[in-house]
Amino acid sequence: MNPTASQASIVSITNVTKDYTLGKVVVPALRGVDLEVHAGEFISIAGPSGSGKTTLLNLIGCVDTATGGVVRVAGQDTKQLTERQLTNLRLNTIGFIFQSFNLVQVLSVFQNVEFPLLLQRKLDKAQRRERVMQLLEQVGLASHAKHRPNELSGGQRQRVAVARALVTRPQLVLADEPTANLDSVTGQNIIDLMKELNQKEGTTFIFSTHDAKVMSHANAVVRLADGKFLDRISAAEASRVMAAGGH
Amino acid sequence: MLQLFLIAFRNLGTHRRRTLLLGGAIASVTALLVILMGLSTGMKESMLRSATTLSTGHVNVAGFYKVTAGQAAPVVTGYPAILEQIRKDVPELDFAVQRGRGWLKLVSETSSMQVGVGGIDIQSEPGLRQVLQLRAGTLDGLAEPDTVLLFEKQAKKLNVQVGESVTLAAQTLRGASNTVDARVVAIAADMGMLSDFGIFVPADTLRSLYQFKSDTAGALLLYLKDIQHVPAVQARLRQTLTAAGHTVMDHDPRAFFMKFETVNREAWTGQRLDITNWEDEISFITWTLTALNSLTGVLIFVLMVIIGVGIMNTLWIAIRERTREIGTLRAIGMQRTRVLLMFVFEAMLLGTLGTLAGASAGLVLCLAVNAMAVHVPEVVAVFIMSETLNLAVHPSSILGAMAFITACTTAISLIPSFLAARLKPVTAMHHIG
Repeated sequence: MNPTASQASIVSITNVTKDYTLGKVVVPALRGVDLEVHAGEFISIAGPSGSGKTTLLNLIGCVDTATGGVVRVAGQDTKQLTERQLTNLRLNTIGFIFQSFNLVQVLSVFQNVEFPLLLQRKLDKAQRRERVMQLLEQVGLASHAKHRPNELSGGQRQRVAVARALVTRPQLVLADEPTANLDSVTGQNIIDLMKELNQKEGTTFIFSTHDAKVMSHANAVVRLADGKFLDRISAAEASRVMAAGGH
Repeated sequence: MLQLFLIAFRNLGTHRRRTLLLGGAIASVTALLVILMGLSTGMKESMLRSATTLSTGHVNVAGFYKVTAGQAAPVVTGYPAILEQIRKDVPELDFAVQRGRGWLKLVSETSSMQVGVGGIDIQSEPGLRQVLQLRAGTLDGLAEPDTVLLFEKQAKKLNVQVGESVTLAAQTLRGASNTVDARVVAIAADMGMLSDFGIFVPADTLRSLYQFKSDTAGALLLYLKDIQHVPAVQARLRQTLTAAGHTVMDHDPRAFFMKFETVNREAWTGQRLDITNWEDEISFITWTLTALNSLTGVLIFVLMVIIGVGIMNTLWIAIRERTREIGTLRAIGMQRTRVLLMFVFEAMLLGTLGTLAGASAGLVLCLAVNAMAVHVPEVVAVFIMSETLNLAVHPSSILGAMAFITACTTAISLIPSFLAARLKPVTAMHHIG
């Protein structure tokens, strides 16, 4: 699904700064970043290590708070929300895919995917089962529903993580280096899966990556350097820049 | 919520060695608590059974009669009228008996000893028949005048058998010495401290020894249908007997023989009634129970502190190991309270499983000890009032012990669980370790 100017912005970031204090030293991770992401976009955040990609995703994902500026997610100013409201926003609006999959080891594949639905308490058992199995079908793991994460390959675990991120039908999915721990073929499969879900369901995806191949699938690439917003370019332009040796 | 239990349960299973170690410690403490509680309750039951048979009713209407200010005797004069009034005032009464009370010298051909004596009418003492275990002779022999029932240790010391005679020597209220030769008609098994210095003779034999009238008793022992009514009956009798013109002494929770010094110091003469309960009459030996309970309390406290440190430590380790998991769960929308609950459930589950195993082991051990009728050394028997170890196991006390230890383990887990719940998602997610 391609964004249009008329679509509402799901993420709006205005002049955001984030500082980390390490002892007596204040380290700026983001310095006045502005960003607008519209519903249905498939956006990649690129930049070298330490450029602020993960920090930016953390702020959008409401798992961290900005030092300055305004972060609006789904129309809500995150600074104005209480801890409980932020948790609810994460539960109902945002899905997360982590570099290291971060599945609950003692739960089965089915239970891992079902978990956010149990937290939501909106669906009954039969509805939950239907939703989970439908997603596991989509990610090709229906036959592995009873397996534990340690019985799966890295690619399969990341597919479970994708299913878990999408099970609540969030408006926004954040993925921090989702292919970093996978081989190139599996990584490519995961990106294809995310793209497919983006196009089918209209879910907005924002993912960080170093990989030019992965980046090439994005509608747009937001480039960061030293905690600053560099530019927002197309995937084709980003590939050219990468080929030329830039980030 | 079910999922949180599942996570807790599976985490315990994943870290099997840690779970077994800590669960084993919890089980051991629970088993120890069940056994010590069984011992304490067993002692209390033995005390209640032997005391309310040998020396006291549930409630006693006794008293002192003084001819002169310094000469008190443990008697109730005109007891039939008082007993009649009691029967009217106490509908909770199951049955009542009158007993003579005294202190005398028991002399055989080879030895002598000082003992307390109970004057009984054996035909109206159903309790004695149930509790006394005869080694020789028959209780019905006490229906004949000038007979005596001894306990095993006394008979051994005096070197007498059933059918032989002993001399009972005592001072009458007026200071004259009197003796009665009594035939040993029964020898009963020892019943701890209370049987060490008590014998039984027919009430009329005691009256003739002390030269009391036939309407004189030492005490009226009242046995209630339900022991829970003791305080109410005691209070009511105090009122009704006072209203009937009797002088009732202030309540003094001690055995009657410990009151002589106080009563003799007082200036009054004549009859005064004293209303006591079974606990008052054996207060001089209930310290053993208090001591055992205190020891149990201290022991359990120390063990609980050790277990508490173990649980805290284990949860700290679990939280450190699962910090990223906590961060992930918080990120995907789990509220802080649920994170807290997840760890509390783990401790609660460990506590429940541990106490269940411990209580079962404790119960089996108690039942085995009871079945084997383990004989205790004489010195122990004096205190536990029984020749054999009796570990009383009641479902309510076992459940209570389980609930107590599970509640402690759960409460202890609150601190690390609370700190886990307070972790910021971003900090937890990027935790390395």
